[in-house]
Amino acid sequence: MIRPIGGVTLAALAAGLVMALGVAPREVTQGNVQRIMYLHVPSVWVAYLAFAVVLVGSIAYLGRRSEAADRVAHASAEVGVLFTGLTIATGSIWGKPTWGTWWTWDARLTSVSILFVMYLGYLLLRGMIEDRERGARYAAVVGIVAAFNIPLVHFSVYWWRTLHQPPSLMKPGPGTMPEVIVAALLVNFAAFSLLYVYFVARRVRLLRREAEAVG
Amino acid sequence: MADNWGFVLAAYGLAAVVLLSYLRFLARGERTQTHRARSRVSEPLAPTSGHPRSKPASRPPLQ
Repeated sequence: MIRPIGGVTLAALAAGLVMALGVAPREVTQGNVQRIMYLHVPSVWVAYLAFAVVLVGSIAYLGRRSEAADRVAHASAEVGVLFTGLTIATGSIWGKPTWGTWWTWDARLTSVSILFVMYLGYLLLRGMIEDRERGARYAAVVGIVAAFNIPLVHFSVYWWRTLHQPPSLMKPGPGTMPEVIVAALLVNFAAFSLLYVYFVARRVRLLRREAEAVG
Repeated sequence: MADNWGFVLAAYGLAAVVLLSYLRFLARGERTQTHRARSRVSEPLAPTSGHPRSKPASRPPLQ
């Protein structure tokens, strides 16, 4: 089952790349550097998705002590940290030519960095505690508490005055973006979501094998 | 504004490196687990005479 998902993901990523670098038009004010958006925005979408799955998996683990739910939460947190790191790095690369700086202690940038550190802490906590059951229980609590930061990250651009622009797509009301840009973005959303599913499926399988090996 | 293709390539290149590195990490972990499972199956057994031995607790005491 995982292999076909991998094949579809690869095809979707290739389509996303063609849409982002070929089909989507050059943006009028920013120029071609705006094409980083097709990488940056889907990355943060996957990070939100991953941490929402951590929340659900953590609640399921605490409620039913399901090892499968714990494995999904663990795998999802790892992939979420990967994509949050990618979001921060690509945002920084995009920020230099558009804002004139690699980094600023802006509300959005700061809150997303806190999100990154919190889930990094979640993974470190899991690695530090030898007793698997206790580690899973503590991690589940952190996984629930850390999820409160997700709406803070998303709405930070509305709640505080920031350098970061407000969401163009994930906002209420009619869209203002040209259709071709929305299409390119949606293809990349789909590709990155598939990549998330593929990574989590493989990581869960690996975690299961490791648990079986330990006994 | 200048096109800054260098920044675009840097972002996409970095993403490719990060994602491929994670894929390699997964593949290496899977290979290690497969190798361990195989070595457990092919572990040599303790030498025996070929006859099944009863457990000490089930043997009658010596007269």
